[in-house]
Amino acid sequence: MTHKGIWQQFIDHFTRISIKIGNQIHLRSLRDAFAMVMPLFILAGLGVLINNVFFPLFLKSTTLINFQTFGNLIVNGTLNIAGLIIAPVIGYCLARNRHYKNPLGAAIVSLAGLIVVMPTTLQALPVAGKHTVEITGFLSYSNIGVTGMFAGIIVGLVASELFIKLSKIEKIKINLGENVPPAVSDSFLTLIPTIAVIALLAIISAILFVGFHTDLIKLITTIIQEPLRKVNTSLPGFLLIYTVGNLLFGFGIHQAVINGTLLDPVLLINTNKNMQAFASGEHVPYIITSVFRDTFGMMGGTGSTICLLVATFMFSRIKPSREVAKLSIVPGIFNINEPVIYGYPIVFNIPLLIPFVLTPVISLLIAYAATVLGFMNRTVVLVPWTTPPLINGFLATGGDWRAVVVQLISFTVGVLFYIPFMKISEQVILRQQKN
Amino acid sequence: MSKKTIMLCCVAGMSTSLLVNKMKKAADAAGIEVNIFATSVSGFDEEINSKKIDCVLLGPQVSYMENELRDKLGNQDIPLRVISMADYGMMNGQKVLKEAVELMQ
Repeated sequence: MTHKGIWQQFIDHFTRISIKIGNQIHLRSLRDAFAMVMPLFILAGLGVLINNVFFPLFLKSTTLINFQTFGNLIVNGTLNIAGLIIAPVIGYCLARNRHYKNPLGAAIVSLAGLIVVMPTTLQALPVAGKHTVEITGFLSYSNIGVTGMFAGIIVGLVASELFIKLSKIEKIKINLGENVPPAVSDSFLTLIPTIAVIALLAIISAILFVGFHTDLIKLITTIIQEPLRKVNTSLPGFLLIYTVGNLLFGFGIHQAVINGTLLDPVLLINTNKNMQAFASGEHVPYIITSVFRDTFGMMGGTGSTICLLVATFMFSRIKPSREVAKLSIVPGIFNINEPVIYGYPIVFNIPLLIPFVLTPVISLLIAYAATVLGFMNRTVVLVPWTTPPLINGFLATGGDWRAVVVQLISFTVGVLFYIPFMKISEQVILRQQKN
Repeated sequence: MSKKTIMLCCVAGMSTSLLVNKMKKAADAAGIEVNIFATSVSGFDEEINSKKIDCVLLGPQVSYMENELRDKLGNQDIPLRVISMADYGMMNGQKVLKEAVELMQ
């Protein structure tokens, strides 16, 4: 077997397995659901930015606190109900992807299911008190908000999946006969599946509450969410998954197939927790977040290709490359880089695949080190991924100019790193033209 | 013949919207009357159900979804094609438009 044969086989296998993961129906529904709710979290970022960066510039003490009510209310309607929102949305997306004709029914069951598993009593701290008291009749932001996001995802998926499965069983459909208007009989179709799903969740929750003094939210958070989040958002885990996703893009398939499913949900939980902590003036817990990745790991798009564009403007002697670079620079400023990836091309171009995959790793390591050393603030604001580099660093860190310096350093290193590989790529092109 | 509609589709509908602009320019220059717009793969269902679409073009980065999206079109007679990597990279609106027009004939 030739060397090229092995390489081709690797690409085929790698692409096929990645697509299989990315197309897995629950993971795909997860990705769709996150795309749907993303505007809310960006809004939360805006609220946090106004409250904690803009207002403190010219307001003080009580006036500041009064003004900050504005942003706090936005946080209530976004981050603090993140789990509550994601559950029905993911139920809806799963039903849609399963071609189930009543996705709204699945959404309702998911939402009801999530509320059913909520603890019935809570420990709460009164505004003027020092000791926690036990209260009933409330839902807490900590359960339906960012911390409850993963529970919302799991309950939403399980409830809607069961609901759809049960709805398809003919035997348990209530048939009202032909004289009943279709709209009326439709409303009865989902009755038994709804009852069955909600009842099942209620039984499980009741056993957990009464017998074990715990609840499903707590169990999902400690047994599934935290271990998964800790592995996938640890520095090696994060860099490994991200690099695999980027390599896939090097073979022409969008990195969201891998990153959107394995990385984005857990990274977004980190971002949201940071936003929440920053908004309430607490210690910001995480370095690695979704916005950290977007800001330092994809300047100008996946592979930090803005570095390649600049390297091309400075040193390229090949006209088509310069043309593509000119065409790509404006979208590149907004982190959209398909023209570079397919036009330069980076896809299947081995010399350029190396910096395409490694430049983001280097940039992220620089940014990580800068954060650990206390040179720059942690990322605390979710900015849209289309925000241009430098501006996004400034905003994401809550207005820290040192983040812009880190981006400039990463950018310079990136350009220097791309140059030799760009030269090799050009040599290959020139040699091919000669032959 | 009524005005035809071409839908382009990629992950977020961002980079395809660049190509849409190039295709519109090419259509104007050639005097072809056609509606062209871009959407995300998650917005695919909604667009298909709410509009009359005559041709679907996919960005190469979502080529892996070709079969699934074709399934969603069901037995409607709507041609669906993945744009070639080279044309997509060079944002060759003229050529992509020409191919779309041929697909719709």
